[in-house]
Amino acid sequence: MKLNTRKALAFIFVSVLALLWMVPIIMMLVVSFMPPDQRAPRFGGLLISGVSLQNYVTVFEDAEIVMHFVNSVAVTVPSVFLVVIISSLAAFALARLKFFARDLWFYLLIMTLMLPIPTLVVPIFQINKALGLNDSYLGLILPYTALGVPFAIVILRSFFAGFLREIEEAAILDGCAPFGIYWRIMMPVSWPAVAVVIIWQFMTSWNEFILALVTMNSVEVKPLTLVPLVYSGQFMMRPGPMFAILTLITLPVILVYYLMQRFMVSGLTAGAVRG
Amino acid sequence: MSRKWLLDNQGLFFMAPAMILFFVFVLYPIFYIFNASMYDWDGINEAVYIGVQNYIEMFTDDRSFALSIRNSIYWAFLTIFPQMFLGFILAYILTSGIPLQNAFRVIFFMPAIVSPVVLGIIWQRIYAPFGGLLADLAWETGARFLMQPYLSDPKIAIFSTIAVNVWQWTGFSMLMYVAGLQGLPGEVLSAAEVDGAGTLQRIRYIVVPMLRHVHLTLILLGVIGTLQTFALVFMLTKGGPNHATEMLPTYIFLKAFPLQSMGYASAVAVVLLVIALGASIFQVSVLGSRFTIGN
Repeated sequence: MKLNTRKALAFIFVSVLALLWMVPIIMMLVVSFMPPDQRAPRFGGLLISGVSLQNYVTVFEDAEIVMHFVNSVAVTVPSVFLVVIISSLAAFALARLKFFARDLWFYLLIMTLMLPIPTLVVPIFQINKALGLNDSYLGLILPYTALGVPFAIVILRSFFAGFLREIEEAAILDGCAPFGIYWRIMMPVSWPAVAVVIIWQFMTSWNEFILALVTMNSVEVKPLTLVPLVYSGQFMMRPGPMFAILTLITLPVILVYYLMQRFMVSGLTAGAVRG
Repeated sequence: MSRKWLLDNQGLFFMAPAMILFFVFVLYPIFYIFNASMYDWDGINEAVYIGVQNYIEMFTDDRSFALSIRNSIYWAFLTIFPQMFLGFILAYILTSGIPLQNAFRVIFFMPAIVSPVVLGIIWQRIYAPFGGLLADLAWETGARFLMQPYLSDPKIAIFSTIAVNVWQWTGFSMLMYVAGLQGLPGEVLSAAEVDGAGTLQRIRYIVVPMLRHVHLTLILLGVIGTLQTFALVFMLTKGGPNHATEMLPTYIFLKAFPLQSMGYASAVAVVLLVIALGASIFQVSVLGSRFTIGN
């Protein structure tokens, strides 16, 4: 009985807090449905006089939202794909193979995790300029991949390290080369860890801002993350269309997260349980 | 390099793509900023070598730089510990088997996946002095203390910005603690319960110490996160008013691009790099922090 009261209190506490926690997100949605003729929305726009889809129509008519969406996809998807391939190859080698200066390579790569991305803005801008990659998707795909690989290696390496030696040895006896062990034995059963890598890389690439800000100068190549800046002048006095843009930017991340969130905790714990 | 050596070192082939990207986009840029920091350079015209002049100016005669260092210290302490505290409480409640606990976890984690650019614009409307959520709430309820110049007062602006960051990242701390709590051996906790330890005692003497690796990971990630902070500040205040919310990354950007002082920006970047590597290496080697709560 005492336990149940306590659980009820905890439930009430968490419910109230969760409601407060959602206010900014709810506000984003509500303002995006605000009728265009409503003047001076109260409570930051939490109270609207009706529900209208006009803001979304405006956004699709006045802003090239689809183009920016395509740009975000064109940068994010290749970087996720490259990170999964490159980091799993490296993590497999670091976890299962012996080779020259293995630990040194690992520590060097891990160092990247401690590096604030803004320290690299000036050189990456100049590298892209030298390679003619400013204003091109590749100018973001390559740095995003390079900066995403180390964390993915940390996740995948500890996952690969948990495999039983016996399976590997049996495969070697059957004449399986290291690449076969990686590709045919380990990768197919590593999806919980790979899912964490995919979610993480998707979200960081999709939401990345500072490199996109300095690399993409032409409106035609700007990803969604820069869109609020592009249209901040145009929609300055009209929160409706602006918040419709914000909602459209956010939907894909929430969708990906929702589809993959059940792997998140299990992927994070996998290492702990095995370790 | 003999055939045998290559066969024994096949791992290098697996590592090659990762290493190439590392050399081009991480190691080379590090050398690059060290070199560029010694020049007076606008990024277009010929650079002029000036030795350590940029550093001297930065440490002796640069109020914005000093403010960005001060703000980073505020930011680190006022985000990391509140996030850990709240995140732990939430995680503890949301692993105790209350109804809808998975839905609650999703709700609290959600801000962490939304772009700080988006959040910056939303919070501007929450903080806005006219028609903003807090200002109107103050009007309607009479809770006048809610009416503050959140983003326009140089004394308050940094704390208003930090509050948004805490709101955004508490769910991440919660998720890490959930993972940590689920990894705890249940026998120890039941044994303590049998021995008559109350909830608070169990939390204080068993759960919190056993989650040491989670605390350390969160502190490490928090410090790195602090030193990376850009988008949120850029959207909320652009580092203003009068540099009151300047952080090292916003200052680097300001110097390098709008002010076209790439040499000076590189020098600030070097300082940021040294702080980041120093703090991280200290935590990893002395405190034993790791980047994941797993192995």
